[in-house]
Amino acid sequence: MTNETSTENKIDNVIEERMTIEPDQTGEAVPAVAEAPGVIETKDMSVFYGDFRAVADVSLNFGRNQISALIGPSGCGKSTVLRSLNRMNDLVATARTEGEVHYHGQNIYAEGVDPVEVRRTIGMVFQKPNPFPKSIHDNIAWGAKVNGFKGSKTDMADLVQEALEAAALWDEVKDKLQESGYSLSGGQQQRLCIARAIATKPDVILMDEPCSALDPIATLRIEELMLELKENYSIIIVTHNMQQAARVSDKTAFFNVKLNDTGMRTGRLVEYSPTEQLFTSPNEKDTEDYITGRFG
Amino acid sequence: MTDIKDTNIHFHQELEELERKVLSMVDRAEQMVEMAVQAVTNDDVDLARRVVELDGGIDATYMEVHQDWTTLMARNQPLGSDLRRMTILIQLNVTFERMGDQCVNIAKIAQLNHGLPRVERICEQIREMGDLVRPMIRTAIEAYVRGDVDEARLLPAMDQPVDRLNANMYKETVAVGSNPQLLEWATKMLMVSRALERIGDQAVDFGEQTAYLMTGERAEFDEDGMARPIDDHHNI
Repeated sequence: MTNETSTENKIDNVIEERMTIEPDQTGEAVPAVAEAPGVIETKDMSVFYGDFRAVADVSLNFGRNQISALIGPSGCGKSTVLRSLNRMNDLVATARTEGEVHYHGQNIYAEGVDPVEVRRTIGMVFQKPNPFPKSIHDNIAWGAKVNGFKGSKTDMADLVQEALEAAALWDEVKDKLQESGYSLSGGQQQRLCIARAIATKPDVILMDEPCSALDPIATLRIEELMLELKENYSIIIVTHNMQQAARVSDKTAFFNVKLNDTGMRTGRLVEYSPTEQLFTSPNEKDTEDYITGRFG
Repeated sequence: MTDIKDTNIHFHQELEELERKVLSMVDRAEQMVEMAVQAVTNDDVDLARRVVELDGGIDATYMEVHQDWTTLMARNQPLGSDLRRMTILIQLNVTFERMGDQCVNIAKIAQLNHGLPRVERICEQIREMGDLVRPMIRTAIEAYVRGDVDEARLLPAMDQPVDRLNANMYKETVAVGSNPQLLEWATKMLMVSRALERIGDQAVDFGEQTAYLMTGERAEFDEDGMARPIDDHHNI
C-alpha cells in the first residue's frame, strides 16, 4: 500500500510537472525562433542487451506537438531508442538502459516511477497491426478499462466514438462496432490500434514502422492521420521509408552503425536536424551518403 | 563502415547521363553566341540562319531533358546532393534554352538589319561584349564540372564590364543622329546589347547554382562574388 501511494505521488508529480511547464514560466518572453518546447529528452542514453551495447550516448530533445522521425539502416538502434522512450525495453529481461530519459523534465527511469503509467502516457503503435481478438468496440473499451476508466456506459460509448473519430476510422466502422477487429483491412486495423492508443489519453504516441505492413493508400491515410494527431499529441516514429519521414516529420534523427575497437556494432546518433534540411543539405557526410544510397 | 558502396548505381548513372545532356546545351549556346555576334556585326545573313537552325537542336534537347528529368524524379525521389543536383539541372535546362533564344533574337536582328547603314563603333562594342560573355559561359561550365565555388565567384566581376557596355549603348544609340535608317539599325543593336547582357546574367546565375550544389545554401552573388542570402537580396 505504501509503495502504491508513493508511485501515485510520483505520477502526480509527473503530471504536475506537465501542467506547470509552460513557455512563460520564467516570466520571460519566448524568442521568436525558439526551439519547440521539448516533451521527451534523452541524455547520454545507452541501451544494452546483456553485455552488448545496442546504441550509445543518444541525446535527443523531441518537440511537443511535433512529429519526430528516427531513420537509419537495420541494426542502427532506432527501434531500441524508441522502445526506451516508454520503458517498453523493461519487458526484455536482458535489456538495460543507462543515462536519462526525461518526460517533461522528469526522469522516467527514476526510482518509484510506474512503467505501466509511463506506457499509458507515452503510447505505442507497432509495426504489424495487432488488434485484440475482440469486437471493434471492445478493442478500445478494454484498453481504457484496464487503464482505470470508470465512466458510465454512455461515457464509454462517447470515448469509443471520440477515439475512432480521432483515428479517422469512425465513419467506416460506426455501423459495425460489434464486429471483430480482425474483420477490418490492414490499414483499418492499424487505425484501430491508433484509436486504442488514443483512448488511454496519452500525451506522446510512439510509432514503430506503423505503415510497413500497409499498401500505399493505407499508408497515406495513416500519414494524413499523423498530421492531424500532432495538433494534440507529440509523435515519434521509426520508419525505414525515408520518403515517409520526409513527408510527415518536423525533425529527423539519423542513426548509423559504428564498429567499435572490439568489432562490436553499436548504433549512434549521427545527426538530428529539421527534416527539410536533413533531406536536402544534411550537415554530416554519413547522412548524405545514406540518403543518396551510398552506404558501407 | 570503411568501404562506402553505391547502392544506387543505376540512378547515379542516369543522373550523370542527364547532366551530360544539359551541359551539351551550354556548349552549343556558347558556339551560337559567337556565330550570332559575327552575323549581326558583319551583316552575314547566312550565318544568322545557321544560328536559328542550331537553336532547333537546343530546343529538342530541352524537351528531352524535361522528359528524362520527370521520369527520374518519379522513379527515384532523390534526396541530399542528388536532389540539389536534380533541382539545378532542371533550372539550367531553362537557362540554356533561354540563352539559345537570346542568340536567335540576335540572329533575327541580323536578318532585319540586313543592308541598312551601320556604325562601326557600335559593331566593335557588340563584338567586345560577345568576347566578354563567351568566357563567362566557359568559366561557369568549368566551375560546375569541377565543383569549384571560388571559380564560380569570379563571374560577377566578369559581368561588370558587360553591364557597363550595355549601359553605354544608349548613349551610342542617341549619338547616331537623325538618319531614320541609321536610327532603326542602332535601335535594333540596342536590343542585341540587351540580349548579350542577359546572357551574361544567365552565366552568373549558373555560377550561383554551382555554389548551391556545393554548399547547400541558396544565395545570389554580390559584385565580389560573395554569397548574399536570397532574403536579403529582396530588401536591398
